[in-house]
Amino acid sequence: MGITSTYTEQELISALRERDNQAYSYLYDNYSGALYSIVLQIVQDTELANDVLQEVFINIWRKIETYDASRGRLFTWMLNITRNASIDTLRSKGYQNSQKNQGFPENVNISGQVTQTNIDNIGLTKILAKLKPEHRVLIELAYLKGYTHEEIAQIEDIPLGTVKTRIRNALLQLKEYMQ
Amino acid sequence: MNVQEYILSGVVESYVLGLSNAEEKAEFERMCAAHSEVRAARDAFEQLLEKQLLSQAIAPPANLKSKIISEIDIENDKRQGKKVVSMKQSPAMQSGWLRYVAAAAVILLVGSTIMNFYFFTQYRKYISKYDDLVATQTQMAKLNETLQTKVQDYQAQLNIFSDTSMSIVRMLPAAPDGPAIGGHTTVYWSGNSKDVYLVVNNLPKPAVDKQYQLWAIVDGQPVDAGVFDIQNGPVKMKNIPNAQAFAITLEPKGGSTAPTMPIYVVGKTTG
Repeated sequence: MGITSTYTEQELISALRERDNQAYSYLYDNYSGALYSIVLQIVQDTELANDVLQEVFINIWRKIETYDASRGRLFTWMLNITRNASIDTLRSKGYQNSQKNQGFPENVNISGQVTQTNIDNIGLTKILAKLKPEHRVLIELAYLKGYTHEEIAQIEDIPLGTVKTRIRNALLQLKEYMQ
Repeated sequence: MNVQEYILSGVVESYVLGLSNAEEKAEFERMCAAHSEVRAARDAFEQLLEKQLLSQAIAPPANLKSKIISEIDIENDKRQGKKVVSMKQSPAMQSGWLRYVAAAAVILLVGSTIMNFYFFTQYRKYISKYDDLVATQTQMAKLNETLQTKVQDYQAQLNIFSDTSMSIVRMLPAAPDGPAIGGHTTVYWSGNSKDVYLVVNNLPKPAVDKQYQLWAIVDGQPVDAGVFDIQNGPVKMKNIPNAQAFAITLEPKGGSTAPTMPIYVVGKTTG
């Protein structure tokens, strides 16, 4: 997988805006896998993930007009749509409650709760595993669960400033691992 | 904090991954707009992230794509305003439904009649406008033709002056007590083409039943060179192969075969 030379990002965007089916098919073929892996890591349920990915691609198709290239790349935009849709699903399906009921302070090792072990070994989760535990838990809460920094400060019972610093350091660390 | 420190603080990654709050987002977009280094750092991280996630892609179930495509096909149709109308209706629904259709049909018919009348009026108006335009166009074409002829005439007259073989014959009253005191005409006579042009500088206006006639004097004998009316500019007369002089008499309208009246003006050729 990867961006083949068929379309430049610019060409792809204008073709999508013209509702070009071929471009849309290309978009799906090239990016669905990367986005699906994010959905899986957030909702952690194959059935739900399929529904979310479908919703994501329909949303991409519907909202392509609102994509603003000055704010970032097409993939980043799609990734954020994907993450938001996944987190919304996670919450609406009552996952949030069940997770909350289990109490977060005890859930330091959140990835340990994943029932589908195959997800442990993919995408972000794989890199997250390399982070120090106190960093990893914050990234998982922030990126995969969608909590705000304030909520995390409450859940983890640490000062907001510390949450911010740790998350930023964790992100810089993640970036290192990606290179 | 300077720009470099800002870039290295983790805000770039936080923004790209969607972890910034509204305030941080706005701040980051301001910095992006102001500093190309910030934009470059953002772009670099985006590409890194994209590469990373593409390399760890997990293929979704194979049937999902066709499901999504058919879903957007339906939306596409909706966007284009297509609508699938079910033809089967229960009788109860039909009567209510038909009433609306009938009402809509009547409204459409009335609307259509009004539109027809409007368009017919417009049509009539434009037909008459079109006819006017055609008439104007014909008039213009005629005027153009006239002007073309005039231009050709002027062109011919200009040629008189550029003809190097042209001899100029000044014609003055034959006798100081003759009929044309102050009379003055000029003949332009081409040595090449033998064309003769006459310019009337000054001649008395003739009576309505009379016309001036130009004569070429060849070996003492007058040869008819044509009759003419007084007008501005040169008048083309008959071709004269050779002549020793030109003379003008006032003859009965239409001219005579030989001069019957005294000479008004006369001039000798130089040849």
